[in-house]
Amino acid sequence: MCLLPQPQNEHIELHRKRHGQRLDHQERKRKKESREAHERSHKARKMIGLKAKLYHKQRHSEKIQMKKTLKMHEQRKTKQKNDDKTPEGAVPAYLLDREGQSRAKILSNMIKQKRKEKAGKWEVPLPKVRAQGETEVLKVIRTGKRQKKAWKRMVTKVCFVGDNFTRKPPKYERFIRPMGLRFKKAHVTHPELKATFCLPILGVKKNPSSPLYTTLGVITKGTVVEVNVSELGLVTQGGKVIWGKYAQVTNNPENDGCINAVLLV
Amino acid sequence: MALYNFKKIMVVPTSKEFIDITLSKTQRKTPTVVHKHYQIHRIRHFYMRKVKFTQQNYHDRLSQILTDFPKLDDIHPFYADLMNVLYDKDHYKLALGQINIAKNLIDNVSKDYVRLMKYGDSLYRCKQLKRAALGRMCTIMKRQKQSLEYLEQVRQHLSRLPTIDPNTRTLLLCGYPNVGKSSFINKVTRADVEVQPYAFTTKSLFVGHMDYKYLRWQVVDTPGILDHPLEERNTIEMQAITALAHLRSAVLYVMDVSEQCGQTLEQQLELFNNIRPLFANKVRDGTCLSGFPTLFPQKIFADLTAEGISVIETSTLTEEGVMTVKTEACDKLLAHRVDGKMKGKKVHDVLNRLHLAVPAKRDEKARPPFIPEGARIGRKTMEVDAPKRKTERDLEVEMGDDYILDLQKYWDLMNQDEKYDVIPEIWEGHNIADYIDPDIMKKEEELKVKAGEYETDEESEDEEMQEIRQLAKQIREKRKLKIVCSKDKDVHGPRLPRTVKKVERKTLEKEMGDLGLDMTGKDDSHYAVNARRSRSVGVAKKRKREASVVPTSRTRSQSASRPPRDQSGVRDPKMAKQAKKLMKNQQKDMNRQGKKGEADRHVFDLKPKHLFSGKRKSGTNDHR
Repeated sequence: MCLLPQPQNEHIELHRKRHGQRLDHQERKRKKESREAHERSHKARKMIGLKAKLYHKQRHSEKIQMKKTLKMHEQRKTKQKNDDKTPEGAVPAYLLDREGQSRAKILSNMIKQKRKEKAGKWEVPLPKVRAQGETEVLKVIRTGKRQKKAWKRMVTKVCFVGDNFTRKPPKYERFIRPMGLRFKKAHVTHPELKATFCLPILGVKKNPSSPLYTTLGVITKGTVVEVNVSELGLVTQGGKVIWGKYAQVTNNPENDGCINAVLLV
Repeated sequence: MALYNFKKIMVVPTSKEFIDITLSKTQRKTPTVVHKHYQIHRIRHFYMRKVKFTQQNYHDRLSQILTDFPKLDDIHPFYADLMNVLYDKDHYKLALGQINIAKNLIDNVSKDYVRLMKYGDSLYRCKQLKRAALGRMCTIMKRQKQSLEYLEQVRQHLSRLPTIDPNTRTLLLCGYPNVGKSSFINKVTRADVEVQPYAFTTKSLFVGHMDYKYLRWQVVDTPGILDHPLEERNTIEMQAITALAHLRSAVLYVMDVSEQCGQTLEQQLELFNNIRPLFANKVRDGTCLSGFPTLFPQKIFADLTAEGISVIETSTLTEEGVMTVKTEACDKLLAHRVDGKMKGKKVHDVLNRLHLAVPAKRDEKARPPFIPEGARIGRKTMEVDAPKRKTERDLEVEMGDDYILDLQKYWDLMNQDEKYDVIPEIWEGHNIADYIDPDIMKKEEELKVKAGEYETDEESEDEEMQEIRQLAKQIREKRKLKIVCSKDKDVHGPRLPRTVKKVERKTLEKEMGDLGLDMTGKDDSHYAVNARRSRSVGVAKKRKREASVVPTSRTRSQSASRPPRDQSGVRDPKMAKQAKKLMKNQQKDMNRQGKKGEADRHVFDLKPKHLFSGKRKSGTNDHR
C-alpha cells in the first residue's frame, strides 16, 4: 500500500486553486502563443514527402475557410438589398399546380415505360460505355497433358450467378466463373432520395458489351441488373408492392471490390 | 482478475488520429516500390501485404482498447456500481460493443479484398483494390468517432479514481453535506481533501490511509447525502450510496450539533434512520461534531445508544475526541471482522495448524513475567496522554502575543547571571572572534599534561642525564640543519653518466695495474684494437674541443659539422617551424583514419550497412 498520499480526483485543479500558478505563468503562456505562428511556418517550410502533401492540402482548406469567414464578416457590415426574399406561398402564374394534368402525366409515363420495355430501349444514366473485348474479360486457361489445349476460359470480371446455379462437370465447362468473383449484393443509389441501399441482385438484364456476357452474368460498368427493392417498400398506383427494379452499374466492380449502381426510376 | 488500478489503460486516440497513425504506419513499414513489369504474383503480394498490414494494425489497437477497459462483470461489484453511476453502464457497454463490431468488420473487409486481389491481373487493378480496401477500413473507423471520444473521457476520469480496496479494513464517513467529514479525514489521515464552508465541496469519493494497531486502515470520505428517496438522487449522492452499499466497513455517521450545516439535529437523525437499511452487515458508529461545545439534550441519543451504536462527541478544531472515535471504530470493526472470520469455513484450516504451547509446571514455584522498572515507567507515561514537559509551543499558545523566543535560558554557563549579557562583536578596534582567549593554546597544553599525555619519569632522572638529553637534542637539531644546507648546494651540477666520457687507454691500464692486474702486452686486446679503430688522436686535436664540452655519441660516418636533416632544408627557424606545422597537418588526416601513410588505401568496410539499407528518402547516400 502507499506510504505517500495518492493523487485523487481533481488534484491538479486543487493544487492550482491552493498554490496558484508559476510567477511567470502568464508571461510564458503569452510568449508560447506568439511563438506558434513562427513554429507553424517553420514546419510548413521544412516538411517533405507525403506528410507534407497531406499537411499542405489540409492547410489549404483551412485557409479557404478562414478567407470565407473573413469575407462573411466584412459583408455583414454593409447593408444589402435582399432580392430573393419573396414571401412564401407566392408563386408566379405559370408555376401554379394543376392537379388534373399531373395525374394525366403519370399515366402517360406508365404507358411510355411499357412501350419502352417492349422495344427494349432504356433511358439510362450511362448511355455509352467502353466495350470490353474478349481478351480483357475472358482469360485463356491451358489444359491437357502438354498444356496445349486452350478451349477453356476464365472470367476475370465480377459476375453474378443465380441461387440455383450448379457448375457443369469441370471436364466440360468452358467458362469458369471463380467463386471469389461472384457477387450477390449491390450498393444501389436512389437518384431522387440520394440514399444508398445494399440490395440483393436478382439477375443480369443486359451487358452492353456483348450478349455472351449477359448470358454468363458478367457485370461490368454500364451493365443493367435487376435488384430486389422490397426493402424500399415501393408501391404501385394499383396498390401492388414493387419488389424488383432495374439498376445500372456505375463503377468498375473488379477494381473496387463492390458493385455500385443507380436505380432506374 | 480484479483490477483496482485503472491507470494503465492505453490512451484512446480520436478517430481522425487513429486513421492517420495507421495509414502513415502502413506507408512507412511496408515496401513502397513496385513496377508494372514485375511478375504478377510479386505485384499481388506487394498490395496484399499492405492490406493485411493495415488490418493487423487496426485489429491490434482495437483489441488493446477492448482488453484494457475493465469489463463490468469482472471487477468487484463496488467498482461496477460506481462506474455505472459515473458513466452509465449501457452507454459504456455500447461503446465497447461498437469498437468490437468495428474490429470484426475491418477483419472481414481485409479478408474479402485479399481474396479478390488473387484475381487481379494488372498492377492497376491490384492498386485499385488495395485503395478500396484501405478506404473501407478507414470509413469504418470514421464512424466510430463518438464511441472513441466517449471512451477517452471515461479513461481520463477512471484513471483519477481513488484506489479503494473493497476487502480491507475501511472506515466510511457519511452524513449531510457540510458537517465536517472532510475535516475529519484530514485530521486522521494524510489525505488532503478540500474543506470549504459551502455544501457539496466534496463531489466524489476520497480515500486516506492511517495506522492503528500495526495495521493499515482505509478511511473513505463521501460527498454529503440529502434526505430524499433513492430515485431522486443525483450522481454525486449516488457515489456515496454506492460506497455505503458495497464496502464492508465501519460506518461513521457524522452529525453537526451546532447546526452550521443548515440542518437541524432532528433532520440529521431522520436521515440516519432513512439510510439504515444500507448498514445491513456493517458496523455502525454515530459521531457528533461541534464547532463550539454546546449542551444538547441527551435523550435524543438514548435510543441509539440503547441499540449499541456509540455516540461520541468530537471536534476537529480542538482535536478532542478524534482519537477516541478512531480507536472505538477500529476496535469495533476488528471485532466484527474477526467474528466473521471465525464463523467462516476458512478458519478451520488455520485453526488445525495453530497450537498454543504452554510449558508444563515442574514445581510449585511461581515464575511471573519480569518487566524491568524502566519499561514499566515508560509504558505508564505512554498511556497517560498528558505531555511530559511543557514545550515552547505550549508556552506560545499560553502567552499569545507576549511570547518571545528566548533560547538563552537554556545556556549552561559557569556564572548563571551572565546568561542575558550582550556580547559585542568589535571591541577597541579588534574583532572579538579573533581573541577568544589569548592563552587558549597554553591552557590546552596544561589540560593535556594534566590528563597524562606526555607522561615521562623526568623526576627519576638526575641532572647529568638531563644535561645529556639536552645536548643530544641540540646535536640532532644541528645535524638536520647541516643536511638541509648541504642539499641546497649544487656542487657537481648536472651529472652525466660515466659511459659518455671516453676512457683513455693509459688511465685504464694504470688503474687496473694499481689494483693488481698484469696489464703488459695488451696491444691485441679488444679495447686497444677498438681505440685504434676509432678516430685518431690527430683528428681529435684538430677539433680543439674544450674540456668542458662533452663529446656527443656519434659514429664516424656522421659528419659533425653538417646540420641534421630536418634542419638542413630551411635555415630560417620561423620558416622551419611553419614547415613542420604543415607536415603535421598533413599527417593528421591519415592518423585519424588509422592509415599507415599516404599510400595506404585499404578500405576496411566496403559496404557499410547504414549506407545501403532502409528506404531512400530525401538526402544523400554519403552520410544518411
